[in-house]
Amino acid sequence: MMTEPIRKKYQPTDWKAFTKNVYIYILLLFIVFIFSVIKLDQVEMFGRGNFLSPDSIVNLLRSAIPIITLGGGFTLIMISGHIDLSVGSEMGLSAVVYAWLAIHGVPFIISFAVTAVLGIVMGFINGLFVVRLRITPVIATLVNLNLFKGIALLIVPNGVSAIKSSDTIKMPEWINDYGRKNFLLGLPVAFYVAILVIVILFIVQRRTIIGKYSAAIGGNRIAAELSGVDAKKMVWLLYIIMGTLAAVAGIARASYMSLGDPLSGDGMETDCIIAVLLGGTAFTGGSGSVVKTIIGALIIVCMTTGLMTVIPPYYQILAKSLVLIMAVTINRLLDSSRVKA
Amino acid sequence: MQNNSTHKIYSGKMSNETFINLFMVVVLAVLFIGASLVVPNFFSMKIVVNLITNYWFVILIGIGVTFLLTTGHFDMSVGGIIAMTGVLSVYFCQSSTGSMPLSTGLGLPYGVAIVLALLCAVGIGAVNAFFIAKLKVASIIITLGTMSLARGIAQIVTLGAQRNTSLPEIYGVIGNASIPGTVVKVSVLIMAAFVILAAFVEKKTVFGRRTYLIGANPQAAKLSGVKVSKHVAILYLISALLAGVTGLLLASEYKAGLSNRATGYEFDALVITLLGGTSILGGFGSVVGTVIGALILCVVTSAATGLLLSPDMQFIIKGIVTFLAILAQRMALEKRKG
Repeated sequence: MMTEPIRKKYQPTDWKAFTKNVYIYILLLFIVFIFSVIKLDQVEMFGRGNFLSPDSIVNLLRSAIPIITLGGGFTLIMISGHIDLSVGSEMGLSAVVYAWLAIHGVPFIISFAVTAVLGIVMGFINGLFVVRLRITPVIATLVNLNLFKGIALLIVPNGVSAIKSSDTIKMPEWINDYGRKNFLLGLPVAFYVAILVIVILFIVQRRTIIGKYSAAIGGNRIAAELSGVDAKKMVWLLYIIMGTLAAVAGIARASYMSLGDPLSGDGMETDCIIAVLLGGTAFTGGSGSVVKTIIGALIIVCMTTGLMTVIPPYYQILAKSLVLIMAVTINRLLDSSRVKA
Repeated sequence: MQNNSTHKIYSGKMSNETFINLFMVVVLAVLFIGASLVVPNFFSMKIVVNLITNYWFVILIGIGVTFLLTTGHFDMSVGGIIAMTGVLSVYFCQSSTGSMPLSTGLGLPYGVAIVLALLCAVGIGAVNAFFIAKLKVASIIITLGTMSLARGIAQIVTLGAQRNTSLPEIYGVIGNASIPGTVVKVSVLIMAAFVILAAFVEKKTVFGRRTYLIGANPQAAKLSGVKVSKHVAILYLISALLAGVTGLLLASEYKAGLSNRATGYEFDALVITLLGGTSILGGFGSVVGTVIGALILCVVTSAATGLLLSPDMQFIIKGIVTFLAILAQRMALEKRKG
């Protein structure tokens, strides 16, 4: 007689796994719904006062460009069990360098390329500290946060806050073309570049060696190395990718604001952390998803822009911190893979 | 069989810790002499005294950061706690009959206000402790969050600015008082007292030695019966309390609660801790080292100011100094083993 397969009752882990995958989309819809319902007619940027109006959606997505650009790379780094706290300063330095090149007459392509190379160099330095010199990622990237910020502040001449048009020298007319001017559907080129970045990183994370090895390194580094993964090269590469993405984000920001602000990336690292945590990536590494991080990033942007109209500016830091704590708690609760220590 | 219990893995008689402390003292001396030669007017008693007395607040929060880093945890919230405690203490003390929102407070008696503000600081520490010790969240992430939480509270209470009016006379006493006969402030004395207490605790008490054990080998600590979670939780409460005391002293000194005070102090505290030889890896470090680290940082930044370098250079300087210190300490220790 053939044995029948044992029928399982619904295990608790089924619900947990399901919730884990789906909750973030629900959260995003919830946030959008909340802000659509609240009356937002005080602020011009929302067009006719409606959160879901085309104008406000365009504004929202445009301000989300940096974090969308950064989020995917940050996810990969966290999947591998590392962290990069210098992304904000990398972005700021890139914005300054790009603005400096632009204002001194360097054409767009070359400015872009040089800044991108700067991003590679910054990522290389991060990798050098973490991989070759074996300094803890937190401390290594904190050191570089200050290093890059200092260099960016030095480039900006004394007495002004950013590299921008003045009486003696002017930004070229093409400065807004990349990050602000309407290219398609009201969104600038930078937005579509960010989308392209996500698509590429999604493929990388899911289907390429970079993604798989990163997860292996994050899950169990020694096992990965014994299995033949060159953890050093991989982590170094991840930091270089992060630096390049930060450079692109800095270019987008500088292009949007028509100036190079060394502090324009401040706080980005916190935003990235929140996005990654909301997206369910375990901060000890081993698993994660680029797409969910981007949804998390969108949640943050929706909250920030939405909250800006509802609460006074001095409430913002508190709101952000509560979001972070909430993200951490959710991440903890849903992380079924954690071994109870 | 020969008793090998005295076998050491390094040559010489002093511990690694004393070695590193002496190493950094030598570095300090070299830097000081170098600065005296290069920077005009550097070498004078006034500068030396100023070095310590101007940095007392970073050393005070550095104590908590040192203990926590020895166990392998970060505390980035101390700067925010300083601002929050200062602002709250002002708010509690301000007279409750006032015309404008920023001049009106809760009108509590001074003592009650102080205690309440410290309790709030410890509250932030409790949030840290809960998430880090209980839920095992990465300390860097949650303390960045509580840093914003504390600063956010400070910003809300001051409506983004500061509170400095309608304070009772007694408020400004402790922050501005000096030791009779000298220009040294009472705050410095308080800092020194805490440093001595901390040095005693870390070397001579069970609590202190357990801290080192947790940092060096958490599994061994747990298997030996040390309640690691509880211990780390207590350390976060202490760190928050120290930050609260610092916040009170600073607010009293300036007779104002600023929402943006102490921005960046958490990084300075981390820098001096690292300069002092504390390592995140192995239960290694000392408060004395942190003090030496603070002096080194002070010499370097004073020299930079004396050489008329732009204040923006401070970021680069702190980064480079930390980097060099970590490498130098590691090389020194490895050489010693051989």
